[in-house]
Amino acid sequence: MTVPTPAPDQIALVDCVSFYANAERVFDPTLHNRPTLVLSNNDGCVVAACPLVKALDPDIMGKPWFKIRGWCQAKGVEARSSNYELYGSLSARVATILGRFSAWQEVYSIDESWLKLRGTPEELEPLGQEIRRTVLQLTGIPVRVAIAPTKTLAKVAALGIKKNPAFDGVLDLRRFPEEQLDRILDSLHVTDLWGVAGRNGKRLAALGIHTARELRDADAKWLRKRFSVVMERTVLELRGQKCIELETQPRAAKDQLIYSRSFSRKITDSDEMHQVLSIYAQRVSARLRAQGSVAGVLSVWVSTGWADEGSVPHSAHKAVPLPVPTDDPITLTKACSAILAELFPAAGIRYARAGVVLTDLRRADGVQALPLFQPEFEGRGIGKVLDDITRKLGPQAVGVGLGGMKTPPEWEMKRAMLSKRCTTHWDELPVAVA
Amino acid sequence: MFEKEVDMQASQPEPLALNEPLILPFAPEAVACGFPSPAEGYWSGDLDLVQHLVRDPSSTYIWRAAGHSMTGAGINDGDLLLVDRGIDPVPGKIVIAVVDGEYTVKRLDVIRGRTVLLAENLDYADIVLQEHTEMSVWGVVTWILSPPKIKRGVRPRR
Repeated sequence: MTVPTPAPDQIALVDCVSFYANAERVFDPTLHNRPTLVLSNNDGCVVAACPLVKALDPDIMGKPWFKIRGWCQAKGVEARSSNYELYGSLSARVATILGRFSAWQEVYSIDESWLKLRGTPEELEPLGQEIRRTVLQLTGIPVRVAIAPTKTLAKVAALGIKKNPAFDGVLDLRRFPEEQLDRILDSLHVTDLWGVAGRNGKRLAALGIHTARELRDADAKWLRKRFSVVMERTVLELRGQKCIELETQPRAAKDQLIYSRSFSRKITDSDEMHQVLSIYAQRVSARLRAQGSVAGVLSVWVSTGWADEGSVPHSAHKAVPLPVPTDDPITLTKACSAILAELFPAAGIRYARAGVVLTDLRRADGVQALPLFQPEFEGRGIGKVLDDITRKLGPQAVGVGLGGMKTPPEWEMKRAMLSKRCTTHWDELPVAVA
Repeated sequence: MFEKEVDMQASQPEPLALNEPLILPFAPEAVACGFPSPAEGYWSGDLDLVQHLVRDPSSTYIWRAAGHSMTGAGINDGDLLLVDRGIDPVPGKIVIAVVDGEYTVKRLDVIRGRTVLLAENLDYADIVLQEHTEMSVWGVVTWILSPPKIKRGVRPRR
């Protein structure tokens, strides 16, 4: 008896169309069909723009807000501060919904997932449309579905969907006969490909490899010697040979936690930095408790801005090992204070951002310290009490030491055009007129 | 060498998706001292209100109602509304609709072939959709959450 071999799995790349701009539109009908862009932390520069904005200025990405503010007003372009609470919530919903279409899913970024699908193009393209309809209906976010035998080719299909509206958001690359696929790969430069960096583009050009088709037909082993295994994989994947698998295993609890932010204005003295670090330490310690870990090392990094006139660029990174791995906010806050003195070695340093990093993480239940070695505040459950209060009353309700303040400190990130955090904050719910 | 790795992977059985958290039921039986609980084997967690109210967490959103046009439907000013985008907005349902760039909560209906958004308070006008008005349904209201009003000295009358 012969068992029929199943058709090889196809890889689908599902990505959200202009994710930040469309996330802003979900709860704001005035943005529909209006050019919309989103600014980076601190309202610094443009990090996302919908096609309507790019039609007005193809080079809008990365432009500083203070330079384009007037232009936006004149052209009727709507700008928003980045609302990561909203984007994160909608992104999680999209990922959950996509997970219903396949047992194999890799959430790749805030707006992309890989899925494994099985079937012919005639079966999978309608499934792609079904995925689009479902995600749009349940979340309001439009997505594209690019299908191919490998991840690298799925990225090629995604480019095709972007360029040609006739595909209506879904494309299975196998629908093209061989000659047509050749022409498509001919039209792509190697640096358009997923995983080929710009500098490798120059090196490939020196070897006479310019287009994706030339790369596909090059000697993979030879390229591996000249570049790396990554380049060899790209070549094989272009030929339809799966080399980069989906990471479908759930990622274990993160082995490093970071809380970092830019400030709305520079921080120049030790007292203010003390306040910054104690708040960051408490926020990161809440995340640590949420994943049920304790940390063995706390480190702090601080740095000045890149375009800060008249001051010395400076950055510092210091780590303190903790006596016993802990999730206690008071111990972690105190560890920050211990580092503080080393952060201002000279006068005139103007820090623009800081981060508190916890490493050497392990499961909280695996650590049994003898009471003798327990830090002073350990075992009193202060962290849990803080978490409970914060969950009920918000992040500004309570804190330890300099972190315990009701009004946000002045250096907190500037988000002047922040939309409502409709799905994560009780006091910012969307309102319907009755 | 590289191809070999790939071949090996292809010949291996695929793992089951493990991206759902495995939630183990709480087992009171594990407590081995004292009298066995008479509830042993019966208790598997208290009623979960969210599970009762929310059909699909991925498509459910919380809104707030502002205004008095829907008091007849039990929606008072300030009430919380659970809104499910995964439910078909058939006539008769209460919906969040977008009319001329504004969100409104009304009862969706079709009267003499015309889509209408009905107010449930005689002091308010219904919205009858004209050819040029743009309307889309954002989601369907599935629950109205409001605390009872505090009143004293009010006696129900026949």
